[in-house]
Amino acid sequence: MPEVGRNLPRKDGVAKISGKEPYSHDIHLPNMLYAAVYRSPLAHVRIRYVDTSGAQALGAICLTPQEVPDVIYNERIVSIPTKTYKDRRVLPTVARHVGEAIVGVAAETEELAIRALSSLRIDFEPLPSVLNAEEALKPESPKLYDRIWLGEKPIEMTGNIACERHITEGDPEAGFREADFVVERRYTTPRKYHGQMETKAAVCQPLPNGGINVWATVQSVHNVRQVLGQIYGIPLSKVNVKKLSIGGSFGSSIQMNSIIPICVGLALKSGRPVKLISPREDDMYDHSHYQTEMVLKVGVKQDGTFTAAKMNVIADIGAHHIQADALLGVMAGWLASLYKWKNFQFDGQAVYTNKVPGCALQGFGNPLVNFAVEQHMDIIAEMLGRDPVDLRLQNYIGEGDVFWGQGPSIKSIIESCGVEEILREGSTRIGWNQRREPHEKSGRYRRGIGVARGFHTSGTAGPKPGDVIDFSSATIKVNEDGTVDILTPVIDHGGGTGEAIVKIVADTLHVPYTMVELSDVDARTTGYDVATHATRGVYCGGGAAAHVAEEVRTQILAMAGRILDEEPSGLALDLTAERGTHVYVQSDPNRFVSLKDIAKTAQIKSWGTMAATGSYRQSSAPPCFMGHFVEVEVDTETGEVRVVRAILLSDAGTVVNPDLLAGQLIGAFARGIGFALQEHTQTLPSGTLNHGGWLTDYRMGTSCDVPPPDAMDVYFAHTYESTGPFGAKGVAEAALSSVWSAVANAIYNAVGVRVYDLPITPEVLLEALSAPQLIEA
Amino acid sequence: MTEKETPITLIVNGRTHRVFVSPSALLLNVLRDQLNVMGPKYGCGIGECGACSVLIDGELSLSCLTLAVSVMGHVITTVEAVVEDPVGKIVADKFLSHAAVQCGFCTPGMLVAATSLLQSERSPSEEDIRQHLRGNLCRCTGYAALVRSVQDAAESLDGEPDHEMRAGN
Repeated sequence: MPEVGRNLPRKDGVAKISGKEPYSHDIHLPNMLYAAVYRSPLAHVRIRYVDTSGAQALGAICLTPQEVPDVIYNERIVSIPTKTYKDRRVLPTVARHVGEAIVGVAAETEELAIRALSSLRIDFEPLPSVLNAEEALKPESPKLYDRIWLGEKPIEMTGNIACERHITEGDPEAGFREADFVVERRYTTPRKYHGQMETKAAVCQPLPNGGINVWATVQSVHNVRQVLGQIYGIPLSKVNVKKLSIGGSFGSSIQMNSIIPICVGLALKSGRPVKLISPREDDMYDHSHYQTEMVLKVGVKQDGTFTAAKMNVIADIGAHHIQADALLGVMAGWLASLYKWKNFQFDGQAVYTNKVPGCALQGFGNPLVNFAVEQHMDIIAEMLGRDPVDLRLQNYIGEGDVFWGQGPSIKSIIESCGVEEILREGSTRIGWNQRREPHEKSGRYRRGIGVARGFHTSGTAGPKPGDVIDFSSATIKVNEDGTVDILTPVIDHGGGTGEAIVKIVADTLHVPYTMVELSDVDARTTGYDVATHATRGVYCGGGAAAHVAEEVRTQILAMAGRILDEEPSGLALDLTAERGTHVYVQSDPNRFVSLKDIAKTAQIKSWGTMAATGSYRQSSAPPCFMGHFVEVEVDTETGEVRVVRAILLSDAGTVVNPDLLAGQLIGAFARGIGFALQEHTQTLPSGTLNHGGWLTDYRMGTSCDVPPPDAMDVYFAHTYESTGPFGAKGVAEAALSSVWSAVANAIYNAVGVRVYDLPITPEVLLEALSAPQLIEA
Repeated sequence: MTEKETPITLIVNGRTHRVFVSPSALLLNVLRDQLNVMGPKYGCGIGECGACSVLIDGELSLSCLTLAVSVMGHVITTVEAVVEDPVGKIVADKFLSHAAVQCGFCTPGMLVAATSLLQSERSPSEEDIRQHLRGNLCRCTGYAALVRSVQDAAESLDGEPDHEMRAGN
C-alpha cells in the first residue's frame, strides 16, 4: 500500500506535542548574551547621533546605525537580482516608520538589555511623514527616499512610487466597446498582521574562523545565508543557517527578518553568542500585509461571455520595498488566470508610506484580487439574471488554458483541473438549489449562502527561467540497515511538507514510512532551495526529492545486480509484508535480496553508499483550485456575522497527507473568517498602530470564534497532475484564496447589502444596512 | 541596575530547584532561561495566547503572568510532565492521530489546557471544550482537529477510573 495518500503520524509530532521540538526561541548557547532593539518612536526621523554611554555603563554592547556595514539590500532574494529593489540597511540613518529598529543592544540578561535601551540617548531630527497611499502620491508630499536601487542600478526618486506595472493583453478598449454591460467597482483590503504564533527570533554564534552559525525564524536557510554573507562580507562557506521548525509564518519570513542581521551584528561585535527574541509588540511593528485599493472594470455580453477586464491597483507597501514588484505581477496574474476576459489590462502602483513594511501573507495578493473578482462575478450574475455558479462554469480558465498566476514571466498550460467538480460538489453539499434571494428573507437573523472559487500556483517554476528563482534540492541515502535518510532544505511551516517529502521518497524507493527519516540539516549540508513560499513545498520540494530518489533507486538496482548476478534492467524494486523492501529478478521472482542485505553487503564489500544529491526544477507551475461555499447568519440589529456552515473544496491533485490537507483547509478558512470579519491593522495619525502592538487589541479567532468542527465539510477533487510527484500539486495558499469573497457573497445573499471594504465588522455592516440600498450594477 | 536577586525554591515536574531570581522575574522566563524547560512558549507576554500555559497546583495558569517568587513551594507542572500523565498521554496520542499539530508552537500549551479540562471534567460537551480552549490561540489549525482530539480523548477515558496527576505529586 503506498504511503502517499495515507494518514500517518507526522514525524515531528511527538516532539512538538511534548515541547521538545526546538524553535529558534528555544536555542540556548553557553555564554550567550540577550538582545533587545530600540525602535523608532516616530514615523519619519533622521538619526543624528546615538549616545550609548549610559547603556555601556550598564555593561551592554550596542550596535548603532554608524556601525553596521553600509550595504543597501533587499531582505528577500527570491526574485532574480535585476528584478530586486533595494532600499534598506541593517540599521537605518533615517527611520521611516514607527517601530523601525534603530539600535541593537545585547547584555547578560534580557532584563538588563531592556534597561540598557532606556539609557540610550538619541538625537533625532523629526521629518514630515505620510501615512496613506493617496497622500503619498501627491507631488507635495514628503518623500521617503531620495534614491533606491533596482539590482545594481540606482533609481533617483521623484516621489513615493516604489514601482509600477502595466500589463495589457489584447485590446481592452475595443473589448469594452463590444460589451453589453460594463460593471465597475472599487474594493479595498486593509493592512493585516500575520499572527504567526512564534514571534521572530534569532540566535547567532560567532565562530573562531570569522564565520557565524545562525538559528532563526526563516522560510529559507539558503537565502538568509546569502543575504547575511552579502551584508557582512563573509564567504558563504563560513555562514551557516540551521533548519528549524518554524512556529507559523503565513509568508512573514519569506524575506530575511529584520532582526536577524541585527543579532548577527551584535554577535560579531561582542564576540559572543547573542539571542534576540522579538517581543510580540516589536513583531507587530516588523511586518504587515499590503493594503490595497482595487478598481475592477469588466465588460460582459448579455450571454455571459466577457469582453474585457481592467484592474487598477494602488498598494500601500509601507516603508520598505520587500516584494511589491512581484506583488503587482502576481496580482495581474491572479486576475488574468481566473476567467476568460479575452482582453485584459492591469495597472498597478506600489506606494511608499511611513508605515510598517508590507510583505506577503498566505496567497500574496491572491485573496485580494479574488475579493474583487468573485464579488464582481456575483454582481454580474445578478445583473444578467444568471446563477452565480453557472456564470463561473461558463467562464473559468481550466484544462488546456494558460495559467500565469505567478506573473507574466511564469506561464503554464493547465493540465489538471478540478473546477467543475468543485463547483458541482459544493453546490450539492450546501444545497445551492434551495438558496433564496435576499428579498425573500426577513427578521432580525438572516441567513445567506455564498460561493467563491479561487486557486493558487504550485511553485514558480516552468519550462523557462522567469523573474523568480525556483528549484529545489535533496540528498537521499540508504543506511546500512536499509533505512533511509533525507536531507532536504525545504522548511515545513507545519502544513506537512516534511511528511509529504518522506512519503514521496518512501514510495519511490518502496520503503515503509517508518523507515524514512528527515535529517537535521542546515544551509551547509543541503543544496539550494529558494524558500517555502508560493505553495511550492510538495510540488517543487517533493518533486526534487522524487527526482533524487529515482537516482538512488537506480543505484539500489545496480548493487542488487552485483549480488544477484543479474543486469539491473531485469530487476525490480518492491515492498511486501513478507520480504520487506527487496529487489527481485523479474523473470524469476523467487530470486530476491532485501534492501537491508543490499545495503549491508555494499558496506562489507566496500562497494560504497547508495546515495544521491541533486537539484531539480519543475517544468510547470500548475494551479491548485479551490472553492468555498459558505452559509452565514447576519444579526441585522448588531451587524454581527456568524459563519454557520462551510464546504471547503480543494483540487490538490493526488492528496499526499489527507488529514493535514483537511487541517490546512480548515485552518485557512478560520484565518480567512478573521480577515474577512475582524482583523485590521490600523495606523493612527502619529504613525503608531491603533492596537499599540498588543495582541489584546488585534483580535485573532479563538476556538469559540470559528465554526464548530462539524460545520466545516472538506472535499478533495479527483485530479492527477502528471508533472507533480505522484500526481500532487500544492494547496496551501489556495485554501485562503476565496474565503473573504465567499463570506462577502454570503452576507449579500443574507441581507442584500454588498460590502466592498474589508474587514466587514459589525459597525461597517450596520452602516451599510442603514444606508439607502443601491441596486446592484 | 538589576534588581536584587533572591534565592527561591521551585518545584517543577516533581523536581525541586533552587534558583536566584529577581522579584519581578516571570515564571515563564525562569523556566526557560534558568531551568531549561522549553515546553512553555513565549507568544505574547500578556496572557492573551496561552502558549505559556502550565499547571500550578493542578490549576491551569499562564506562566507569562506569574511571578516566579509567587509560586515558591507550589507544584508547577509543565507540558514535559503533562505528556507523561495518564490523561495527558491520551490527549497527546489523540493530537497526533487527529493531525491536530501543524506548526506546533501552540501545541504544548494546548496540551496542558486540554489535559486540565479532562482532569476535572470527564465528559465535556463540544461547547465545553471550545470554551475551555478559548484562551489558547492557534493560528494554523482552525481548532477543529484540536476539539475533535479532546472529544476523542474524553471518549477513551470514559469508563476508566479517574487518573490523578502523577507528575509533580
